[in-house]
Parts: sequence; structure tokens; C-alpha cells
Amino acid sequence: MSPVIEANGLRKVYSSRFGTRKVRALDGIDLSVRAGEVFGLLGPNGAGKTTAVKILLGLTQATEGSARLFGIPVSDPESRRRVGYLPEGHRFPGYLTAGQTLSIFGRMSGVDGATLKTRIPELLARVRLSDWRDVKVKKFSKGMTQRLGLASALVHDPAVLLLDEPTDGVDPVGRREIRDLLQAEAARGRAILLNSHLLSEIELTCDRVAVLRRGKVAAQGRIADLTAQGSLYRMTASPVDEALLSAFRETGASVERVNGHLVLTTRDLAHVNALVDTLRARGGILSELAPVRSTLEDVFVDLVKTGEAGEKL
Amino acid sequence: MRALAASVEEVFREASARWTLLAYFAISSLFILLFAAAVNLDIVDGALAGAKLFGKEVDLGGEKIDMDRLVLGFEAGFSGFLYMLGTFLALFATAHLVPRLQEKGTVDLYLSRPIGRTKLLLSRYAGGLLLAAANLLYLMGSIWAIVVWKTGVAHPRFLLGGVVILFAIASLLAFAFLVGVATSSTAVSLMVTYAVFFFAALLSGHEKISAAVSSETSANVIHGLYWIFPKTAELGRATVGLVSGGELREGFFDLGGIDVLAVFGTTAIFGILSLALASRLFARKDF
Repeated sequence: MSPVIEANGLRKVYSSRFGTRKVRALDGIDLSVRAGEVFGLLGPNGAGKTTAVKILLGLTQATEGSARLFGIPVSDPESRRRVGYLPEGHRFPGYLTAGQTLSIFGRMSGVDGATLKTRIPELLARVRLSDWRDVKVKKFSKGMTQRLGLASALVHDPAVLLLDEPTDGVDPVGRREIRDLLQAEAARGRAILLNSHLLSEIELTCDRVAVLRRGKVAAQGRIADLTAQGSLYRMTASPVDEALLSAFRETGASVERVNGHLVLTTRDLAHVNALVDTLRARGGILSELAPVRSTLEDVFVDLVKTGEAGEKL
Repeated sequence: MRALAASVEEVFREASARWTLLAYFAISSLFILLFAAAVNLDIVDGALAGAKLFGKEVDLGGEKIDMDRLVLGFEAGFSGFLYMLGTFLALFATAHLVPRLQEKGTVDLYLSRPIGRTKLLLSRYAGGLLLAAANLLYLMGSIWAIVVWKTGVAHPRFLLGGVVILFAIASLLAFAFLVGVATSSTAVSLMVTYAVFFFAALLSGHEKISAAVSSETSANVIHGLYWIFPKTAELGRATVGLVSGGELREGFFDLGGIDVLAVFGTTAIFGILSLALASRLFARKDF
């Protein structure tokens, strides 16, 4: 399946007004997101996440590299025909009501009036704003504005959603609802690119992530792969005696007892299987075996700190 | 087309929500009501036999004044006043359209839609111009209707004067858009456009000014500037000339003794170039 979002070697250098100072915001990043996939873009402040999204939407022009949506270069407005975008810190015109906002932005995306008549009430119901349809946006709380933003991003039934901090200012219940909504949209085949600081949200929502650091992709892949600590496994078995531990150590594994289970440092998957064979040969019963994982936050902090340390050297 | 119509509608919705536009309509309405209530004319056999202004008798020296000529004179003079008022108010009510569009957090919402930047800017320009036209039609149409009601004399030429005023607004609004795109500031946009209006009016005396300067280079610069800037003073005279009855001469209208082709042509070029430059800047800008 060909990717719906594709970026190759994106570079962006911002210049000061008179060109005397240059800031490198992106330094050759590659991204690719397929239909039905929820992709998270992570990184500390100034890592280049928003710049990357803005280039994908044609809001900012790349200094080098190329980006395509549905195979159409992002410089062509037509590439945005099936894209829904929720910018960070967005400000809808305060003089419009929720209904008028969806109507105007829907028509700007090419949706006809008849379709909007049915879609607007549906969307407002999905984001729990039905009772606020005729209220001016300036009266909305931050969470409500955020939910309206999500409805506006969905108003033209896009195939791709680019969301910048979608749960910003939303209460925990609202966050859960937004998460459910995004997962439902992904299940319908939409590609979603999520840009967020909330790593726990990303961990719960995304299939794959890319961690940006100083304009470069520091790590990219499935969350399960990034958080797995390759050689570490947790084993719960019985009986566990010193003879078993010695037998494990003889294979070259390092063994540690932790809170009633064993933490094994192994060479590879074959080595893990060999340890299981050893346990069974000695009449032991295996009740749990799982790779030890870090949280996404641990991975993120490690990557950022490694980068900072590397820059200091 | 759907997207452009939505953009224009948004301009009108914004205008109706803004105090400046409401104030403009309120001032216009008050002006119209005062005008309607203040003037009472006694017309006998198509001539003015007596007149009352704010309830006081106006001394006509015992003469009967031809009503048709009186109305024509009034409307011609008044159109000059409306040229200034209409242009200033229209710019005041629409100059914010680009700076507000470019605000952080707002511009992304518009540019992420499948509508080209040039089209977006031009749709806002069209919306602004339609708004100015609606304002002008309301003000001039009401005054004209009151004059017809009070005197029974109908001069459609008065309404034609509105076309020249709208033409001047179109050129100056294009320039306001250019400054708006470059600076993202409504205040700067208004100040610079009003400055151009007055500076261009001063340049109408370029022959006299250049004769007064010592160097030929300075004189050439003054002449050059005259041809670059819109002809704001001449357009005012053209408005009055059109209302008071310009005539066809050698294929062109003679409006207040101005060179119609040069005045309208250079002003149109100024507006078109401003709008083209604004579109180019807007299309290349990083947000």
C-alpha cells in the first residue's frame, strides 16, 4: 500500500529579516504514513514537529526535499482536498457560531450545502457540542474550542488527519473521547498524524512514532519495538532454586531475582528458548515470560538526553 | 466557486459583527435622517419658491430658482463630499481583512483548505469591495431617494458618481491589502494608505511643484511619482464632473477638465499592480 503522507529529505532553514541569522528547523527528515495508521510525531520544543506539519500543509515552504499527500506535491492546493487539520493554538473567528464555523470551513473545503446540512449536526453531536450550535465561538471554553476544531478538521470527511496537540486544554473525560474518536477514524481507514507532547496519549493512540531532535529523526518505528529492551525478559516460574539459576548462568545469561520473578539478560530469542527448555527439563513450570519494556517517556527522555550529551562532547 | 463564496460570506459576517461597520451604518443613517428632516422645500411650477432648513426660512431673494439646476448643483457638490467620506470609511471598514487573516492561529485554518492563496486573498478583496459597494449604495441611494422625494427631481447621474468613488476605493483597497500582507498590521495599513491618498492629491499639482524645485532631477522625480500614484484629487473632480453632467468629447467623457484615460488608467494600473504584488507576497510567505 503506497503511503498517503510522504516526506523525503525535508530541510527548512529560517532566516532572520535581513538574512543575518539562520536557524535550521529541519535537517533532512523522512516520513511515511499509510492509510489506517496513527503516526505520532514527538520531540522537545523546537525539534521541528510543527514545521514538518506546516510543510505538509503548504503553510511553509521547505528549503530542500519533497513532500506529497496522496502522491500530490504539497505545493498544489489540491493535495489538501482530503486533509483535515487541527492547528495548535487555533483561533476560530469569535463572531461565528459553531454551526457557521463548520459551514464556512466545510464549503471552503468544497463540501456542498446539502451535505453540510446533515453532516454538521452529526459532527457537533460527536464532539458533544450540539447544544452550542448557535452560540458564538468567543463564548467557548478552551476544551470546547478544541472539540470544535476537531469537528472542523473532520467536516469534509478527509482521508488524512493532521492534528497538532488535539487534547490540549481538554479534560480527562474529553481526552478519552478524543482518543476513542481518533481510533474509530483510524479504523475507518484514515491516516492520522498526531503531534503531541503528551507521551501517554501517544502511547495509547499511535501505531508508530518518530522522535525528532534538533530537526532530525532520532528514532522511528512501532512503539512496541522502540520500548522493548531487546535482551531483557521477565520470567515467572516455579520451582526456582539455586540449581536452576546456576544452570541459566552456565548458558551465559545474567539472572536477577526481583519481587518474586526473574529478570533475565539474554543474547537473543534462541537463547530465551534455550532457557525455557532448561526450566522444563528440570520439571519447572513456566507461568509468565515477557520482554521487559520501557515506557515511551523513558525512550523519549533517553533519546533527547543522548542527543544533548552528544552535542556537548 | 463554493469556497470563494464561503470566503466572501465570512467577510460579511465579520463586518456585521464589528463595531466599525455598525458605527458606519449608524452615522450614515443619522446623516440621512437629519437630511430628510431638515430640508423642506416649497416648489411651485418646477421651481423653488421657498425653502426651510431646520425649520428656518431660507432667504432666496424673492426669486424662483430652477429646481432641476438646484438639485444638480447640490448633488454635484455633495458627491465631492461623499467621495472623501465614502473612501475613508470604506478603507476603515475593510483594511483589517488581511492582517486579521494572517494572525497566528487563524491563518492555518484557512490555508489548510484546498484553496489557493491567491484565490483566498482575491476572495477577501472581492468581499471587501462588495462591502464597500453596499455601504456606498446605502448612503448614496438613500440621499438620492430623499432628494427625489423632497423635490420630485431624479438625476440618476448622482448614483453614477458612486461608480467613480468605488473605483477609487478599489485601487486604494488593493494598496491597503499590499501593506497588510507585508506588515500584518491594520493600523500601518490604514496610515500608509491614507498617506498615499493625501500625497497623491498633492501630486496633482506636480506641474507647479516641479516648476518650483531647483533641479531637473527633482522635477522629474515629482513628475514620475505623479504618474505612479493613484490620481485621488482628479478622481474627486471626476466624481463631481460626472454627477454635474460630463459630456462626450473626442470619444471620452470630459469630467471636470481631467484627462480621463490617463487618470483612470494609471489609477487602475496602480491598483492592479498593488494587488498582484500583494498576491505574490502572500503566496510566498511562510506562516
